[in-house]
Amino acid sequence: MTIGGMTDLSGTDGVRGEEASRKELLRIEGLVTRFHTARGTVRAVDGVSFSIGSGEILGVVGESGCGKSVTSRSIMRLYDENKAAGHEGKVLLKGRNLLELSKSEMRNVRGNEIAMIFQDTLSSLNPVYTIGNQIAEAVRRRGGAGKKEARRRAVDLLGAVGIPDPERRFEEYPHQLSGGMRQRVMIAMALACEPSLLIADEPTTALDVTIQSQILQLIGSLQERYGMSIMLITHDLGVVAEVCTRVVVMYLGQIIEDTDVRTLFERPLHPYTHGLLRSMPKADRAREGKLESIPGVVPSLHAVPRGCRFAGRCEYADSKCLEEMPSLTAAGEGHQVRCWHYDRIGREWGNGA
Amino acid sequence: MSVVMHNHTASDRAAALNEARLQYRREQRRIAWRSFVRHRLAFAGSIIVFAVLLLAVFAPVIARFDPLAVDVANRLKGPDAMHWFGTDNFGRDTFSRVAYGARISMFVGISVALITGVLGLLIGLLASYFRRLDYALMRICDGLMAFPAILLAIAIVAAMGPKVGNVILALSVVYTPNVARAVRSVGLVVKEQTYVEALGSLGAGHARILFRHIAPNCLTPVIVQGTFIFADAIISEAALSFLGAGIPAPAASWGNILYDGKMYIFNAWWMVVFPGALLMLTVFGLNMAGDGMRDLLDPHTKDK
Repeated sequence: MTIGGMTDLSGTDGVRGEEASRKELLRIEGLVTRFHTARGTVRAVDGVSFSIGSGEILGVVGESGCGKSVTSRSIMRLYDENKAAGHEGKVLLKGRNLLELSKSEMRNVRGNEIAMIFQDTLSSLNPVYTIGNQIAEAVRRRGGAGKKEARRRAVDLLGAVGIPDPERRFEEYPHQLSGGMRQRVMIAMALACEPSLLIADEPTTALDVTIQSQILQLIGSLQERYGMSIMLITHDLGVVAEVCTRVVVMYLGQIIEDTDVRTLFERPLHPYTHGLLRSMPKADRAREGKLESIPGVVPSLHAVPRGCRFAGRCEYADSKCLEEMPSLTAAGEGHQVRCWHYDRIGREWGNGA
Repeated sequence: MSVVMHNHTASDRAAALNEARLQYRREQRRIAWRSFVRHRLAFAGSIIVFAVLLLAVFAPVIARFDPLAVDVANRLKGPDAMHWFGTDNFGRDTFSRVAYGARISMFVGISVALITGVLGLLIGLLASYFRRLDYALMRICDGLMAFPAILLAIAIVAAMGPKVGNVILALSVVYTPNVARAVRSVGLVVKEQTYVEALGSLGAGHARILFRHIAPNCLTPVIVQGTFIFADAIISEAALSFLGAGIPAPAASWGNILYDGKMYIFNAWWMVVFPGALLMLTVFGLNMAGDGMRDLLDPHTKDK
């Protein structure tokens, strides 16, 4: 994968032994995640490869069940590997393959190098402890801080994520805060660890629109301030447009398009990406009829189509698409797409589709 | 100078923070107390239990006679100003015996509730969190629950000898599976909450997640079940003593007072009625308190 033109932000931890052009923080190669279910083994993530540069905000886009959340949890190895899941491929964080680490080494990676925030803000916090206690605990896990110091740091962090009157808020329980405030608390907990990578799994999906943009702005500004990389999982292309620098589009466990944000909106190549873009509501366009949607449903992971996985729902699909699976091919500078007909399809988008 | 200033503001801030925390806790306690008092069932039940507890603790002060002192001249006397609850077939003061019996009953009840609470919480937590342990632990619980409780308790006491300690042990064995099952079912739900995953993503280990984060969320069933087990243990102790497998004579327990009274039920009703009534009242109070506790601790019935 060649990705150029990325700006590296100062203030990141030095990545040793890397060339200067674009410091790669995380590189995933051929990641497969299998789940053993009653109906057989499924490959929820099927050969995913991408990378995140230092200080980059990568959007991972796709509809429910496409494997974007599974990818993030596989990076963190949050699945019970003995029973539920099996991994293949490589997850290289600063050159170290996380899939080969021992359990205790992996525990050190979690929270120290990678932190995660979740969609459901209410159940993401333990209801029996005050938010301050929970942040202080995260600070202490990072090590080096005594109880008082951790408490002070927690108050600072609450302030840093834009919670007014942090000293009072410290004493409040999760249910006393609004969803947006709780998401800020989650972000503060993640920041407590000073991670080099923050995985945000649909951080704004459960929030209302005005709060959404506040949280996104916060994430953007914290990224600049702390210089971490962010993997932002979302199904909302509006979110992607607002904060991301690069985008990976996933469909049924595979990456189908990988490009920078500008290209995604200006010259998307995959018909599925087109569908996603067309199904976005637009404020400036008069309401003529219904919102567009992609016809059909995502096939089950238990019965993955032989050819292109999107063929069944694609208006361009021909017999080749049904028979042979296209591979992820370079379609331009830092632009990859998994489609037999991307050339033609891309041109059509340009002609005002 | 500036360093001093900085220290000053930092300590000020810490003090303000601490004050805010204490104030908040006070307020929370006040709210909790008020909702407890307003909940008539819980409040009334607790008052009954508290009264019996006082009777037990202050039995040596309240009782006017030695519960073991035999007075042949005053056998089977009915209740009067001297002997409030009458005397038994040895002329012993029934009120004193009931008061001392309360000590045994409350001691057994509290001990069994505490032991089953701790053990049940531990077993339930482990079973809910570790799937492999779950199967083994739950089959053991199933096995224990398959026995009629009183029969199992009798067997244990019979094997180990009738002593207070053995009665407590036997009843703890009998009731622990109930708590373990209740905790497990809550633990299974709590385990799936996102914060458990979030803790994992922060690098927390199993012990920390289970005991620091899941355990406090599983305390409600322990408290509620504990109250009911307290009541059940009192009944079971009485039943065991009544059957001769509990507290051995001449020590007084509600069960063996009832046993002694059984022979004289037609000519000395007070030997059966008073300990029986107190037993009933205590259990009634505990059950009311337990029901109330369940309401008060259940977030869905709050603000009632």
